[in-house]
Amino acid sequence: MKRYFTLVSAITFVVLAGVATAKIKNPETLVFLWTSNVTSLDPAYIGNTASTYSSLNVYSRLLDNDGSNISKFVPSLSSEVPSIANGLIKVLDGGAIQYTFPIRDGVFAHRVGIKGDDGSITWHLYDDLSETDRAKIEPGYGQITAEDARYSLMRAILQGESWMANAVTEMITSGIYTNIEKWAIGLTGAEKFENVDAAGLAATHAALAEKIRTEGENLIITLDSSFPATLGIMSLPFATSIIDREWAIEKGAWPDTAQTWLDHHKPKLEDNPLFKVENGSGPFMVEAWDQAEQRITLKRFDGYFRDPASLKRVVLRTVPEWTNRRLQLLAGDADFAATPPEFIEEMRASEGIKVESLAQVYGRSLFFGWPVVAEGNPAIGSGQLDGKGVPPDFFANLDVRKAFNYAQNYDILLEQIQQGRTVQLRGPTVAGLMGYRSDSPIYSYDPAKAEEHFRAAFEGQLWEVGFEMTAYYTEGSTEAASSLAVLQQSLARINPKFRLRVQALTRSAFREKTYGNSNPESPLSYMGWGPDYSDPGGPLGAASYFLASTGLVAGFSGDGYRELMREKFDPLLAKAWALNDPAVREPIYARLQEMSHEFATSQFMWEAATANVTRDWVHGYVHNKVLYGAWNFYNISKHE
Amino acid sequence: MQSYILRRLFFLPIVFFALSLMIFSLQMLLTPIQRLSAYVSTISEMKGGREQIDHLIMKYGLDEPFITQYWLWVKGVLQGNLGWSETARGPVSEVLLNLFPATAELVVLAFIPSFLCAIWLGTRAGANHNKLVDHIIRFFTILGWSFPTFVFGLIMLMMFYGFLDWLPPGRLSQWAMTDVGSSDFIRYTGANLIDSLINWRWDIFFDSLRHMIAPVITLTYVNLANMTRLMRTSMLETLRQDYIRTARAKGLSRRVIENKHARRNAMLPVTTMAGMELANMMGGVVITETIFDYHGLGQFAATAAGSLDFPAVLGFALYFAVVLVLINLIVDLLYPFFDPRVVLK
Repeated sequence: MKRYFTLVSAITFVVLAGVATAKIKNPETLVFLWTSNVTSLDPAYIGNTASTYSSLNVYSRLLDNDGSNISKFVPSLSSEVPSIANGLIKVLDGGAIQYTFPIRDGVFAHRVGIKGDDGSITWHLYDDLSETDRAKIEPGYGQITAEDARYSLMRAILQGESWMANAVTEMITSGIYTNIEKWAIGLTGAEKFENVDAAGLAATHAALAEKIRTEGENLIITLDSSFPATLGIMSLPFATSIIDREWAIEKGAWPDTAQTWLDHHKPKLEDNPLFKVENGSGPFMVEAWDQAEQRITLKRFDGYFRDPASLKRVVLRTVPEWTNRRLQLLAGDADFAATPPEFIEEMRASEGIKVESLAQVYGRSLFFGWPVVAEGNPAIGSGQLDGKGVPPDFFANLDVRKAFNYAQNYDILLEQIQQGRTVQLRGPTVAGLMGYRSDSPIYSYDPAKAEEHFRAAFEGQLWEVGFEMTAYYTEGSTEAASSLAVLQQSLARINPKFRLRVQALTRSAFREKTYGNSNPESPLSYMGWGPDYSDPGGPLGAASYFLASTGLVAGFSGDGYRELMREKFDPLLAKAWALNDPAVREPIYARLQEMSHEFATSQFMWEAATANVTRDWVHGYVHNKVLYGAWNFYNISKHE
Repeated sequence: MQSYILRRLFFLPIVFFALSLMIFSLQMLLTPIQRLSAYVSTISEMKGGREQIDHLIMKYGLDEPFITQYWLWVKGVLQGNLGWSETARGPVSEVLLNLFPATAELVVLAFIPSFLCAIWLGTRAGANHNKLVDHIIRFFTILGWSFPTFVFGLIMLMMFYGFLDWLPPGRLSQWAMTDVGSSDFIRYTGANLIDSLINWRWDIFFDSLRHMIAPVITLTYVNLANMTRLMRTSMLETLRQDYIRTARAKGLSRRVIENKHARRNAMLPVTTMAGMELANMMGGVVITETIFDYHGLGQFAATAAGSLDFPAVLGFALYFAVVLVLINLIVDLLYPFFDPRVVLK
């Protein structure tokens, strides 16, 4: 019996020891478990949130956002933030705007070049060099200069691969050309980019070089006219990250000549020489990227131009299985775990776990498309207003759009589906963006008003015969399924002849029916699109995305939607964009937000919210909405 | 024997050709926009709308005719290039080569005990037909048979990691991963156990072993059931053979009859099945690898298939065809060893 008790006691002790709260297991290493993967280490190549983690932490930009304030900027490689007050923004004759970025002195990249006795350059890790060796660094080889900044921007634009590189092109051309190919066509008058000859290519290069140049250690950017989002774009981590010119050329990247840029234009991912190598000047270096195991290890760069980061290493690992991520977090083997929304509350209640709720820069909406494909389109049934379908331009009718907006039960969406974590979306712009006002009009669930608008639509015929149509969403999204189900039931309650079918599609099939086509098949789809910089205007701003006839949403919502935008919204958007004074621009964007309500352009449901689920010993996360919550590991530390 | 092997190997390219043609035909049923999924990981890469989509379709040649796309791929394969995997962001051949040692290490560690245990348990159950030992073994194997791998795996994970923190998932602990990635540690095979021994790093060896225990037990138990039941049935049949009766009449001991005369013959069907099991496991133990965060071929193939990463799927199919043919060949070559009456022609 005594032996039995000893055994039981021993087992109990071991079990309790296992259950006991985990201690910091890797004090200087942050283990980050996610489901994404970095696409490329070349900051000019890609512009997705996952790749932000490498670009943001490995490279530096000319400017940074001031912490969470996405409309305010602080110096980074540029020692000052250009402004009219400090004379670094000048309005030239003819309305051209000149930005001057004075490049900070004494900044080095992770790898620097030292000239050998035979004149050849060998590259060494800056951190491994002694002070004596550092004195031998060949000027320009790993030392960040204005030439590096010029080269980096030009290379990104000429490479023209990512939408972000194209955004920089749009900035440089003051919104005239959306990518380098169009610029070349515009300059040469060629019919297609393939027809642009060598002289045309050289002329395009020359035009670009004229707009981005150096003067001593200053980078000078000249725009033909105002582009208010310029500083916002320059602080983003993609096409504006600065790479070392000499190192990049040695690795096989564009050799900085007019004749060769076409050879480096739009390379395939695997053909890009900077795909899996880096030489940034950011606070971390890529120590290893195991593509097969989907693990990337960042190591602290002690030679960073600011104080070195607190963490010695950051390990980003792709772990697809949630239970595994959860257990590793609870055991303390991981410091962060990507958490599905439905498990956030459970994690909040777990010991040693910290959950930070974070507002996003975008919302979730139901998008109306009109006209949709008429022939053989199952989404609109018979294609007639006969109770067995809807006409292709069903949502061209303002009463229908308004009725759908009144038919949605936003309280259920916010309280039950979102569990009170977020607020109702008021239009294209969310809190923190210019034009957002917390008292702007929004729709609320009102079956009586919905009925009133349904009765008014199509001279009462819609109310009489009813409709049948299909709304689509991407499979796996429980939020989408739930929000569409709420609408479906509400419509049926308003009039049993209103039959909304809800169908989940694979990502690829969904794309084909919605944003993959300028002539959509889907009349009603659940999506979420967000802006790429803080300014609501310009090509990638929130207001333009949703409300410009050339915007992203218009691009997939059909000719009718585009026409409405062209007629009602484009003039105001253009007016706001032409102005520089935020005080004058703000009321215009606020008005646009109101108009999105008046014209019921979409069904704006809720502001997206996410959460960081970490161990409670992780500190220093700064939420940057415009980076979609990507972590800047420089500020992170681990301590009890 | 030599011509037999050559003839069997000759079938390999035929199998592969048929397989690749089938997979290629299947993928062509999808539209270029659908197939584009493999090349874009997030919705933000689609910003730019139709123009961007058309650019990507053209860039990856997704609108080319079937024959052109298939020919380009075959040409690449003949040059040793299996294509580019967007899932793993690397050349397919490189990814397969990098992940193979991880899966092989896990499979070998799981297969050997499951095969040996199955032989032993099956023999004991067969030899003790309808006795307590037989009942216990049958209960044990039926339990293993009826346990879905993911349930058993999750129980193992929750119990031995979530609760006790003894057997962590992954292939190595964080400190060991850092050490293995350093220049002081030389990678010879990619298999952590072997490389740590060659580098004389016992700490990494034991850490690696600790990470493998739970997936190995899971795989062993789940695979054991099938083979044990077959061995038992085969043993029962063999023990009813005339030559066994003769052996008993000659006065041979029960132990000698069961272990020397009956078991060897009873092993023939189990060997065939074990070969198939091994081949299947070498094709990747998807669920086990996923549950235990063990980056191997199975997890890769499943992710690639889910992302419509066709070069990866085709590359994996090629690898699997090779494994299947080779293991079957090895099993056939082993037959004469177990049964001298078998002659390979």
